[in-house]
Order: sequence, then structure tokens, then C-alpha cells
Amino acid sequence: MMNSSDDLSLNSSTADQKQSINNQWQRISPIALLYFMVNVVQKLIGNIIYIIPAIIAGYSHLKENPTLWLPILFAVIGLIIISVFLSFYFFQYRLTKSHIEIISGVFAKKHINLPFDRIQNIKFEQPIYYRPFNSTCLILDTAGSNKQEAKVVAIDIDFAEQIKQKILAVNQLTPTTIATNNETVNQTPANSYHNTKETILNQRSLTDLIIHGLSNNRVWIFLAGLAPFFDNIARFVGDKLSSIGINTDQLFSIAEKSWWQISLYALTLTFLILLPITLFSVFGSIISFYDFTLSKLGDRYIRRSGLLTKHEVTMKLSRLQMVIRQQDWLDILLKRINLKFEQNQNPGQNLQAGAHNNKIIVPSIKEHECQALINDAYPNNNLANIKFNAISKRYLKRNLAYILLPIYIGVAALLILNHKAMVLTWLSPLFLFIALVIFMRWRRWGYAQDDNYLYIRKGAFGVDYLCFERFKIQQTQFKQSIFLQRHRLCQLKIILASGGVTIPYIDQNVGYQIINESLYQVEQSRRSWM
Amino acid sequence: MTVESTLSTKPRANESFSNQPLKTSILPNLADLNFEDLSPKYAKSRFIVNIIIFSLIVIAALILQSFDLSPFTDNVTTGYLITLVFAGLTLLLSIYLFFADQHKYYALREQDLSYASGLIFKKIVTQPILRIQHIELKRGPIARKIGLANLQVFSAGGALHTFEIPGLPLKTAEKIRQFILQHKDITEVAKTNNDTQLTSSDLNDE
Repeated sequence: MMNSSDDLSLNSSTADQKQSINNQWQRISPIALLYFMVNVVQKLIGNIIYIIPAIIAGYSHLKENPTLWLPILFAVIGLIIISVFLSFYFFQYRLTKSHIEIISGVFAKKHINLPFDRIQNIKFEQPIYYRPFNSTCLILDTAGSNKQEAKVVAIDIDFAEQIKQKILAVNQLTPTTIATNNETVNQTPANSYHNTKETILNQRSLTDLIIHGLSNNRVWIFLAGLAPFFDNIARFVGDKLSSIGINTDQLFSIAEKSWWQISLYALTLTFLILLPITLFSVFGSIISFYDFTLSKLGDRYIRRSGLLTKHEVTMKLSRLQMVIRQQDWLDILLKRINLKFEQNQNPGQNLQAGAHNNKIIVPSIKEHECQALINDAYPNNNLANIKFNAISKRYLKRNLAYILLPIYIGVAALLILNHKAMVLTWLSPLFLFIALVIFMRWRRWGYAQDDNYLYIRKGAFGVDYLCFERFKIQQTQFKQSIFLQRHRLCQLKIILASGGVTIPYIDQNVGYQIINESLYQVEQSRRSWM
Repeated sequence: MTVESTLSTKPRANESFSNQPLKTSILPNLADLNFEDLSPKYAKSRFIVNIIIFSLIVIAALILQSFDLSPFTDNVTTGYLITLVFAGLTLLLSIYLFFADQHKYYALREQDLSYASGLIFKKIVTQPILRIQHIELKRGPIARKIGLANLQVFSAGGALHTFEIPGLPLKTAEKIRQFILQHKDITEVAKTNNDTQLTSSDLNDE
């Protein structure tokens, strides 16, 4: 069965003689030098916060004694260059029929041996400076308890594509895949894999991304890259403002201003802060989602996006843990939806920014597009028309009457006793707002179920719909305080490989029923969660 | 292992799959679990350890006090008062934990493990055996001394959701571990999913 794809030799014109499976150790493309360089510089900048005091202290000293410091500076630069070259020199990889091996590291050597059939995720990452050289980073990782990640830093993009096809083909033949395939209704036979064409499911235009940037705070994508320069920017803005006659110190001393002046300032300031944040957010959205395409190849979803660094993430449909349909309040107004396909979450990975992530986010799509995508992933789901059950009113009573109100009364009493009742004029609206949030949360929270899926609705001003297959559940938790027990209520927590989901304040019999049925589906079907 | 041979062991998933409508009343019910107690030594030993630790802190505070070295206040009487309140609170906490520890139970079914805990905030965690990735028996110095063990079970739900039954007699813990390892779901999964069982033969089949 595997003979057809056994030999992986390049037929494209870019082929190097060396780039084939021949059990030989080979080096990566020299463009990797640049990659290692950028890495070192990034690390330096990332750590610069710790050495800023030293630099500031040393700066004047440096100015006075160039003869002493210049050589040191050059030495540091020299060291960086040598280390970059050594990292490149010691980076070697080898492909065999069913494995990829990578040796890297200058002092601490690292040897990774990854069998193709254990690779869970294949990602391409193409930094902007790789593009003229037609190279890419190939990132392969295994999920599960023994996590390993292999990164081939720079190889020809066509060759990377071939390796990917090869790995996918091998994976297609592993028993796990076949087991899951058997259970889907319209099963694709394993060999037909090569005949399957990649179909585009969704694309995002620039307008969509601008809308996404406006309605979703993507500032952090932008800020992540900007963090080291914050101080300079603040100083620069301050200088600019004073040069056009605005004195920030005077502006912010509010003692002798009347209330309308202050509130006008506050309004202007909010606007001034919001405007760049929104702009940055739009930039961030464009940087990470530019040229977004979601396509499907056989049983795999492939997401490609990125303005500067292009990312390609491949996710097998069977690895999908949960679909989340997310709308912030602004999204509701604009009638847009963010759709998330959640994969299993490896510890630490959720900290990575936007496009690096394993999960697939389809930004700011319209209602019908969203439903089409959900239906594609979960063919017989009822998310669009299922009726959600509300959670108990007890949730309101407990949070409002037993927690918020006593706190408010306590604070108010304290303030009045201390003759500071004026504070209540802005504290009361704050408490009212919190009460409103609690009320909205109660109103949003709902659950529904059908034969295969569990649906959860939640949010406050926005609304999220979560939908997952019951048999993917990893663990269930039934929680009941003695107060809830008195009212025959309970709280459920359902744990999937992508994280936990909570359903609070539901009837305990319903709670038991959901758990019993879910456990039954997990244990009876014996289907793999991956 | 050739592809064909693994294929032939696998169609079970296909033949056993059915999706008949079910009455919820005939499903095994979580509410009817027969819970078993942990080792009685568990609550006692934790109580003793807590008392010893808290006493040591109180004694240290008293010693500091007697040398006028209180970290909190210059006033000697307030110092003693704080120590007294602290001692009282920790005693109450120890007693609370003692009762809470006595209300921890576990239950085994053919297909899953459950663990119940909590005096005021009760919680039943259920872990299907099918989803278990690996198992550990953890034993601290005191647990070793008195023959207890903690059973930890890891799933793909992440480290935050590690299923743990503390304070089992070592023999029971080992039996449960054996039961899980011999469970046919686990052995099946290990066959098909290399992640659970990394064998060296896998790496050298070139």
C-alpha cells in the first residue's frame, strides 16, 4: 500500500540533488542564518527589560570611553555572529522512509527522532525575509503526554510541501485514522487520499479584517512586537505634544478645573486613547489574518494567513474538540461572528499569540458562512435551531442578593460612617453595572443537548455558542454545595482535551442525566478523542 | 507491524457501533454509585501532621515573642493575642480538614473511576478509563511510613484536571492501577495510539 509513496524525490525544477530521502544528513538552506540572527536579536530585545538599567547607567560612561566600550560592543556583535553561524552549522536533519531526525544545538545538543505516524500537527511558518528565497520553516509536533516539537528551520517550500504530503499519507494509513473514519457516514477510503483536491472553504477580504480589528481587540498582536519600545514611544509622544503647545503636566493637574472641563478632558482622553488602540487593533488583525484562507483536503482543515510571517496550520478533523461561535457586543451590532475550531491544548501553547496558535480562528464571518462551516465540521448538528434551556434563577439570587448586595451595603455603611457619602455617587453606578453584568450572564447562560452533541450558550453582552461531540469528553465533574443541594441544583464541569466547560445552576436530575449519558457515549462508543 | 495486520484487529470499532435510542432511566446512574472509604489512616495522619506543623509555627512565634522579636507588633500583649488567635484558627482549620478528609470517597465501575470529596462544596469527578493516558502512584515519606499511596490518573484534559484519589492503602492502589492497566480499552488504545506507549521497537524499524 505504501510503495507508491515510498520514494520521495523531487520532480520540481527547484530541486537540489541533496534534497531527497537518502538517509543522508543534510544542512538547511543558508537563509537560516538570517533566521537564527533574528532569533538572537529577538531574544536580546525580549530580555532588554532586565538590562535597561545597566544600559542607562553605562550610556554616559560609554560615551566618555569609546576606546574601552567599542571593542566590547564589537566583541558582543562578533559573538552573536559566531553563535548564529554555529547554530546553522550544527543544524542537520535526515529523512528516512518513516522518520525525520534533527540534530541541533551548539553546546547543548538536541537529537529529535520523530516517526511520521506520530506527528499530530504540521505547520508552515514563513517569515517575510524567507519569501524571496522560497523557503519556509517546517514545524512538526506530537500531541499527547510526551510532547515533542521538531522545527526544520529553513527548507525549500516545495520540498516542505512534499514532506507534508508524505507525512499525511503515512498518517492516513495508521489504524487510528481508519478507526475514526469507519464511523463517519460517508467514509473516504484511505487510498483515495491522493485523489482528493483541496477545496477552499472560506477566505477573508481586507474589509473583513478591518471589521475584525474594530470589533475584536487584536492590539496585543501588535503590542507584542512593540513591547520593547514602549518607553521611547511614550517619550516621543510627550515631546511631540509639548512641541505643539500642549503641556501634559498642566493638562493632568485637575485641581483647579471645573467639573465640565474635567469630564471633557476625560472624554477627549478616552477618545485619544481609543483611537490608536483601535488602529493598532486593525493593524494587528491584518498582520495575523492577512490573506486568510481556510481550505479542506480530505479530512484535514488547512489554515493559511499572515502578512509578515505566513502561517500554515493543518488540523485533522478528528482532532477537533469543540466549535465555538463567538460574538462580542460589537460583533452582534455588526452581525459578524468569530468561529473557533478548538484542538487539544498543550500546556503553554495557549500563551502564543494569534496566528501561532494551533487552533483555527475564522475571523468576522457572516451568519450563513458560519453555519456552513459548522455544518461542514459537525454534519448533523442543530446549533442553529436548537432550543436552549435557561439556568436556574437561583444564580441571580445568589450572586445579587447574597454576594453583591451585602458588599454594597457594607461599603455604603462604612462610607457614610466616615462622612464620605459622596463617593457613593460613582460607586453606586458601578455596583449597578456589575449587577447588570450578572443579570446578562444569567440570561445568556443556557444548555441544550441532542443525541450526539452538547451545546452551551454563554456570555454577558456578547454571546458564545459552544458545541462539542459528547464522546470527546475526557472527564466529568458534578459539583454541589450544600446550599445548592437544598434546592436540588448542581453545577457541571465537562473537561475536553481543549479545556473545561462549566454549566452552573441546573436541576440536579438534569445534571446527572447529562453526565450519565455523556459517560455512556464515551464508554460505549470507545471512539478515540484524537 | 504491517498495516494489514493492524487493520484486521481494528474493525471492532465498526461492528460494535450502534446508536439506538435509549431511555435515560436504564443508563448507569452516577447518583447510585457505591462509594468506598479511603484508608482511615489518611484523615488521622493528615490531622496529626497539620497539628504538628501549626504547633511548630505557634511555638516559633512564642519563642520570638519571649525575646521581644515579634515581626508584627512592638506591643507584647498584642503579639501574644495574635499568636493565640492564629493558634485557635489553625486548630479549627485542622479539625475542619479532619472531617473533610473523612468525607472523601472513591468508586470503581467497569468503565470509569469516580472520586467524591467536599464537606460544604461537594464534588464528584468521574474519569472514563478509556481516556486515561497514564497512571502514577505517588507516595510521600509519611505515606510510605504508614503504607498509603495517592493514585494519580492523567488524561488529555490537562494537568489542571488530573484525577487523583489520595490516601489509598498501598495494596488497593496497586490493585486499581493493575485494573486500569489491564482494562481492554487501555490496551486497545495503546495498540493504536503510540502516544500512550512509546516502545523502542517503534523507533528502530528502519
